[in-house]
Order: sequence, then structure tokens, then C-alpha cells
Amino acid sequence: MADLKPVIVIGLGNPLMADEGIGVELVNRLAKLAAAGTLPSETVEYYDGGCGGMSLLHIIAGRRKVILIDCAKMGLKPGTIKRFTPDDVNSIKKLTHLSLHEIDIIKVLELARMLGQSPEEIVIFGIEPASIEQQMNLTAELQDRVDEFLKAIQKELKNPA
Amino acid sequence: MNKDVNQITNAQAGKEGKVVVNVKSGKDINISVHHITRVEGHGNIVVNIKNGIIEKCQWQVPEAPRFFEAMVRGRRYDDIQTIVSRICGICSISHSLVATKAVEDALGLAVSEQTDLVRHLMHYSEQLQSHVLHVGYLVAPDLFGEKSVVSLVPKATQAVLKIVKAHRVANQMSALLAGRITHPITLTPGGMTRVPTEQELRDLKKTLEDVVPDLVDICKVVLSVAGNLPNFERPTEYVSLRQTNPPTYTFYHGTITSTDLNGQPDMPVNKWENVANEYMVAQSTAKWAKWHRNSYFAGALARFNNNGHLLSPLGKKVAEMFGLKKGCSNPYMNSVAQLAETAHVVEASLELIDKLLTRGTRFEPVQVRLRAGRGYAAIEAPRGILFHAYEFDKKGECTWGNCCIPTNQNHANIQADFEKLVPQFMHEGEDALRQKMEMLVRAYDPCISCSTHYLHVEFTR
Repeated sequence: MADLKPVIVIGLGNPLMADEGIGVELVNRLAKLAAAGTLPSETVEYYDGGCGGMSLLHIIAGRRKVILIDCAKMGLKPGTIKRFTPDDVNSIKKLTHLSLHEIDIIKVLELARMLGQSPEEIVIFGIEPASIEQQMNLTAELQDRVDEFLKAIQKELKNPA
Repeated sequence: MNKDVNQITNAQAGKEGKVVVNVKSGKDINISVHHITRVEGHGNIVVNIKNGIIEKCQWQVPEAPRFFEAMVRGRRYDDIQTIVSRICGICSISHSLVATKAVEDALGLAVSEQTDLVRHLMHYSEQLQSHVLHVGYLVAPDLFGEKSVVSLVPKATQAVLKIVKAHRVANQMSALLAGRITHPITLTPGGMTRVPTEQELRDLKKTLEDVVPDLVDICKVVLSVAGNLPNFERPTEYVSLRQTNPPTYTFYHGTITSTDLNGQPDMPVNKWENVANEYMVAQSTAKWAKWHRNSYFAGALARFNNNGHLLSPLGKKVAEMFGLKKGCSNPYMNSVAQLAETAHVVEASLELIDKLLTRGTRFEPVQVRLRAGRGYAAIEAPRGILFHAYEFDKKGECTWGNCCIPTNQNHANIQADFEKLVPQFMHEGEDALRQKMEMLVRAYDPCISCSTHYLHVEFTR
């Protein structure tokens, strides 16, 4: 495997499910900005994590800092972006544990910590969805604020501490 | 007792919305493993037993239909595999591969030997990562009496670390062959956009050789608690791919076979709609399937029951360790069949790598001549046989699509298992029965839904 870049920005979600795909949309845009030289690329990897779920464990292992971008139900106004860390939240996701396909990212991060494979720093950008349904585009509520979301994440990349 | 249960058909279950079995047990039992949200999609287990009478015993799937078939309409032939890879985060390689094969069938595209070998290897990587994940993260906690892999860590730290290591190796293998861990980007109708270099293949070979002892250790750990797998048998039909030329424990090529064919020829892949025979029932928004009986089993146990004699030496050894033999009708043993397949795919991958290294790898440009037509394909996803079909116009735009996932093919079989399991184990009480029913569903390794993964959090500070 090639040498790991110390920082990774991971966009999570499903572009087939409207606002669920916001993480993937944003990370793809960030990757383009990095390719154009606007954002750091030598020390930062931009990764479309899709619905990889448990694979996140391996993508974050060995990194110094992880920035996750995901659609998040936080009880806020649709289109709100919020920066938080895993310590700031309780996951209230209800899983049946019947299937591998239900994923609670907060639990995956907890497993990484228990196994001693967690990065030093984990930052999550949660974006409140307006709609999660079968649709290959973001809703207007989120689409109109994409630049604002990008600015918030770019600020994090410019101030890595 | 069982005679009564066997008389209940799934059609009745769906039509009446409840199952009534006269079984004397004594205690009332109410089990409801329930998730209402239609957005995420879940399976519900519902059992009501009053005065020893089973009033309700259902496997319900209230998942919202996802209309992927509609999403591909109007899209180019070479977009399809990318779009459908997002159906599932665990079997995204299988969805991409089967879609690519169906598109190639529609357009009449043949692929090179190198493409076939590399795709096989990519497919093995997904079997490995999915099986290790399933047995290690979902089944093992059950066998150790733990709620999840997180709470299993303090109890069996070394075992969990080996599971994570094996899963990581499989992920690295997927990343090399598919371009990234999930949602492949190296597949294109007619070929590959990238093939691994010989050095990358040599590195992969070494990594896989190194992980074999860990896999054997994982098998030994699971074997140490395998006595907790419920003793439950229910003969059913087992459906999988079968490849005779050359005879192969196949996940990728072949015809559709069944333990109920009784000498009849296998079904060609382009007739898969005549195998699945999808139908609707009241208790589920997901479609159910049946072929020769009211239900059938798709998955590792089906592959083993049809092709087990073709497993690799280590695959056979693992099956023997657990006493798994062809003809097994205990659905809980599906997880053991997955373990045997885990060993098999590593050995089969090592063989494939040697073949690729002998012939050498090089980039092969792809040429596509468009034509109108319909194509069908079937492959074995980790959780069972997966069918896709697409139709294109002469410009290469998709006009129709159809896909049938293994989990939908298993729903009727899970219901039929429940109808035998509940009367057999209800005397053990509600908690034990609930546990056995949850373990049964998990044994099928269902892909109920992974279309959405969003976080759901409350702030504590």
C-alpha cells in the first residue's frame, strides 16, 4: 500500500438518495479544488466513502486527523451545517443488528478507539437533510448552500489544529 | 406439531396476515423486534403467542421500494455499473459486476481472458470482506453471548483484532482491483479501465498468504463457541450458480441450479425471471421469490449444498472442522459455509494471481459497437445469487432494467423457517426465542437496506 496521507477528508452517503448524498457531493468538489491547487493535496486525501460502513475503520487507521462529512439528523433546520466531534454527541440511531447493512458511524469510531486504531483527531461536519428519498439530486435547500458548506470545511483544512 | 406448521404456506401467511398454529405451551410470548422507519428499511420480527396458541409469527420487511430500475432509464450503457454500485455498500462489487455482465450480454460484448481473471479476483475480494465482516462482526458476538462486536472487544480482543486484520486485507484487495474499497471504478463494459501491475499482484499474493493463519485462527475461535449454533433443521430448496466446464466452486460464471431439479437441466442465466418468480405478499413491501417450492434458500449454504465438493482443500477442511456436509438443512450453518468459502476464496485467489503472473498483465483498450438489445446476468453476491437485466436502444441508452437481490429471494424461506422454529423453541421462553429468531435472520446475512447511512445524533455538549 502507498504511504498514507496524514489527513483524510471522507464524504459519506448515497447519491441515489437525495440529501443523503451530500457528503459524497462535497468531497468530490473538494477533491476538484485540491486538484486545481486551491486546497492542500500533498498531506490531505479526499475520499468518497459512499456507503462503505465498516470499511471506514480501515480508511481512518493510521491517519492523524479525519474529517467526516455526512448527512446528519440533528433536529436542526434543513441545510444547517454543524461541526462536532464524536465526544460531543450521543448516537440515537436505532439498529436491529440484524444486518451488516445498518451502520452507525459513531459506533465504528468507538470500535476504532477500543482497538487502539483511532486517529488523534476526528472532526465531523453534519448537514441536516431536507429529504432522504430516491432521487439522484440534492434538494434545493441543500444545493443552494453548497458553497457555504465548502467554505466551512475549507476553513477546517486551513486551520488543521 | 411440525405437521401443522408445514401445512401453513407462505401464501396463506401473506394473505391472512397471521399464522395460527395450535401448539400447547402455556406461556404468552410477545416478540417485536421492530423498526418502523420506511426511510432506512428494516426487517421486523413479530411473534404473538397467547395461551400456547401462536396468533402471529411473521418476518416483515417494511422497506420502501427503491426504484433503482427507474433510475437507470435514460442513462448510458457505461453509466449503469456506477449507478447500481450505490445500491449496496457491502456488495457494491457484485452489483457492479453483474450489471457490467448484463450490459455486455445486451451489447454482445466478449471480454478478454485477462479481464475475466481480474474481475474474478475482484469478486473474491468482496466475498472475503463480506464473509469476514458478517461472521466476525455479527455472528461471533451472538455465539459469545455479546450484543455487538464493540462489547466483544474486552472479551476476545485478539480474535477481534484478527477479524479486523482479515477484513482490512480484503479491503486492500478490493481497493487494488476495484480502484477503491467500495463502489468500484475500474469496471467498464467490455473490459477494465485499470489492471494491477505484476508487482502489485506479487504484493497481494504475499498479503493473502500471510492472512491464511489468521483465518484458520478465526475458524478455531468460532469453532470453540459453535455449540451455541441452534440445532434446527428444515429441508428446503437451495438455489445457486453451478459451473461444469471446468468444474468450479463458482461465484461468477455458470447456470442456475437447484437441489430440487431432480435430473432436470439447469436454468440458463437469461431465464432468471423464471427462477425468481417474484410475487407480492401483504406483510412485506419487498418482493418474495419461489421456484419449485413455496420458498428457496440463496447464499453460502446453497452454494455449498450444490457445489461443496469443489471447494479448495482448506475450504473443505474448514467445512469438516464444523461437521458441515452437503445436504445440510440447518440455516444457522450458513455462517459456517461462509467461513469455508472464506478459506476457499483466499486459495482460489492465490491460484488466480499465479495465472495472471504467468501470462503478465497489460492495459487492454476497449472497443464497443452499440446495438439495441436486452441482456441478462447472474452472479453470486456474498449473500446469494444476484440477478440483473437491462435493455438498451441503438444509441446505448437504457430503456428498461430489472434487478432481483438475494435477500428478497430469501424472505419467504425466513418466514417458513420461523413457522417451524417458533413451535420448536417456544418452550424456552421469550428471550431465548427472540435470540434464536434474530440469529436466524442474521444467519441469512440479509441486505435489508444500506441505501442510507446518515448519522442520527443528539448533542451532549
